[in-house]
Amino acid sequence: MKQPRRSGRHALGAGAAYLLLTLPPVRHWLEASMASHMLVQMPLLVALGMVAVRLLPAGRRRRLRNGFGGPLACLTAATFASAYWMLPRALDAAIGEPLAEFAKFVSLPLLVGLPLALAWESFGLIGRGFVWTNLISMQVFLGWLYVAAPLRVCNNYLVDDQLRVGWLLITLAGLLFAGWLGALFRGAPASRTEAPMYKTA
Amino acid sequence: MAKNTYLPAPDHGAKTGVLAYLLTTAAVLLLMMVAGLLMRLEQAQMISIGANGFYQLMTVHGAGMVGIAGIAGAAIMWHFLNQYAALSVRVLVGNLALFVIGVAMVLGSVFVGNFHGAWTFLFPLPGNSLGLWSREAAAWFMGGMLVIGTGFLLLQLDIARAIIAGYGGFARALGWPQLFGRDDGQAPPPTVVASTMVTIVNLIALVVGASILAMMLVNLYHPEFAIDPLLAKAMIYFFGHVFINATIYMAVIAVYEILPRYTRRPWKSNKVFLASWTCSTLMVMFIFPHHLLMDFGFPKWMLVMGHVIGYLNTVPILAVTGYGALMIVFRSGIRWDMGSRLLFLSMFGWAAGAMPAFIDGTIRVNYVMHNTLWVPGHFHTYLLLGLVSMVFGFMYYLGKPARQARDPFIDRAAFWAYLVGSLGFVLAFLYAGKESVARRYAEHLPQWVPYDRVASYFAVLIIAATLVFVARFIGHLAHAGGHHTRATVPFGAVVA
Ligand code: HEM
Repeated sequence: MKQPRRSGRHALGAGAAYLLLTLPPVRHWLEASMASHMLVQMPLLVALGMVAVRLLPAGRRRRLRNGFGGPLACLTAATFASAYWMLPRALDAAIGEPLAEFAKFVSLPLLVGLPLALAWESFGLIGRGFVWTNLISMQVFLGWLYVAAPLRVCNNYLVDDQLRVGWLLITLAGLLFAGWLGALFRGAPASRTEAPMYKTA
Repeated sequence: MAKNTYLPAPDHGAKTGVLAYLLTTAAVLLLMMVAGLLMRLEQAQMISIGANGFYQLMTVHGAGMVGIAGIAGAAIMWHFLNQYAALSVRVLVGNLALFVIGVAMVLGSVFVGNFHGAWTFLFPLPGNSLGLWSREAAAWFMGGMLVIGTGFLLLQLDIARAIIAGYGGFARALGWPQLFGRDDGQAPPPTVVASTMVTIVNLIALVVGASILAMMLVNLYHPEFAIDPLLAKAMIYFFGHVFINATIYMAVIAVYEILPRYTRRPWKSNKVFLASWTCSTLMVMFIFPHHLLMDFGFPKWMLVMGHVIGYLNTVPILAVTGYGALMIVFRSGIRWDMGSRLLFLSMFGWAAGAMPAFIDGTIRVNYVMHNTLWVPGHFHTYLLLGLVSMVFGFMYYLGKPARQARDPFIDRAAFWAYLVGSLGFVLAFLYAGKESVARRYAEHLPQWVPYDRVASYFAVLIIAATLVFVARFIGHLAHAGGHHTRATVPFGAVVA
């Protein structure tokens, strides 16, 4: 019975990490700059949602995925929910209004991380590659939007912070792309990602 | 070491999807050649369609030819790669469907919306039409490009999937264990190596292209989100240059696969071959600044890089492939037919077409030749005599009814007409370039007109020959899907 004990420990770890993120000092610290808010706290919340899914047994994951309406519906939900939290106004609201902050802490793991992880495991290299390449080009695009914006987009953050986020997004996109291509060079996904969605000739 | 014995490879017939690609290619090539002829006739002052019409034609000709070169190259790559790694027919067909939708958007933008800002959609032109076309027209053009790009992205992802499933990763598919270690003769076949290179560079190009297109679409409606024009130019040229270069790297697979069948000599993935493809994987991505040599605002190191890599990249694949083709044919006793002839011609076309670029990639020369007809002279040489010859060679090979089938006289005449027509046509461009005739001018000075007229006659010859090639392919379509031996047997060889 090694497996359940290990996943129990992981669940405990994930729960503790989540609680840590909700603690006011940690929250304030991460939300003090736009970069750590957008590029550390929010991705961590998404990641925790993904970790939570990995801890569920396979049958439950399948039922959950079907309940959501299949992998494409999962991906669409994750895309829309994450798009909302990219709006500068949503960032402002999360800082100023407790209800919005609560919505962020609930929706990022449950409506982005969870459906994304559910969709991910049923995608082959084509589906995953499509998500990666889109994510990367949209990240460059978003980074440029922040750099080129002619005004301050958030009431809570300064223009300097906004610029830094823009360049960080672009840099991150480059690193992610290099990492993804590097993985294809190594071919690590070969055995795992035989695309089940696409029947081959 | 790779073995030198030839193991006869079966001649598979083409799948319906590949034939659909080739039929689309034939139709678009012919139509776009006629568009090209109309442009030349306008410059020659033999017809009068006006500057507006000229630039509309130039936009669809550029976009259509680059797109169709991609479709034709993809058909060749898919047909042969599918024999080594299981590819998805659905994705193949999906790409063609997206291509058709994208082309419809582009045509609508040009002929309904009057967009005529050239296929390179160079920033800030699409958004600054001085009232000649609407924002919507520009948006439809760029949207069409995005749709076409999405189709190719899916195709490349499927190819990546199949290569990784079959060979365990890009590194192995490029033959790195054999290149950097001991050559155990187990390197992947040339088709797999070439397809891997194309997939890597196209994935990068398509992501960069999608990013700049999305930025330009926002800028179109919200110009206050400014784009650095030099950055935009670099991104567009990176995307466009890699994509069009990749088309010939896909099409050359026809040479690697078909010539050995005619000469009964193997095309080996030896260390030199592997090294050349690995070098070009990198270099093809850093060569684009040779288009920007006159943009003094660019960082100097980038221009130096474009200059140096422009020189270097001419060598590896081209020299290795050209030399390889000569060696495979030399004293092989090959019996020529239309397929092998066109494929052999393509080697000359590719090599000859690279030379003007090599020369123009020299900053001193570029001072004079930049933006002259020398540039269309270069790329029409390697595209018409290189890439298009490969495509028609492939079509002849597929459509050949039987090994002994002989080519009718008209086809052989069409081969020579195509060769003479293309040489005359591109030499007229090159000569005009030497005389400093600017490219992309709808109206030419009286002293330039004679070259335009000569070029127009040669263009008619090319189109006539192409009509014969296309008619023969359609006539032989029924054979193209069959699994029968096609290649002639060289003199002195024993029939298996
Ligand atoms: C009968 C064959 C062809 C004719 C008559 C023709 C004619 C022309 C002409 C007149 C131009 C404009 C030159 C200028 O003044 O700047 C042009 C540009 C171009 N052609 Fe062709 N062409 C032919 C075949 C091809 C092929 C086979 C390809 C590619 C596969 C191709 C790709 C292009 C491209 C990319 C441009 C650049 C457009 C631009 O400057 O925006 N052409 N062609």
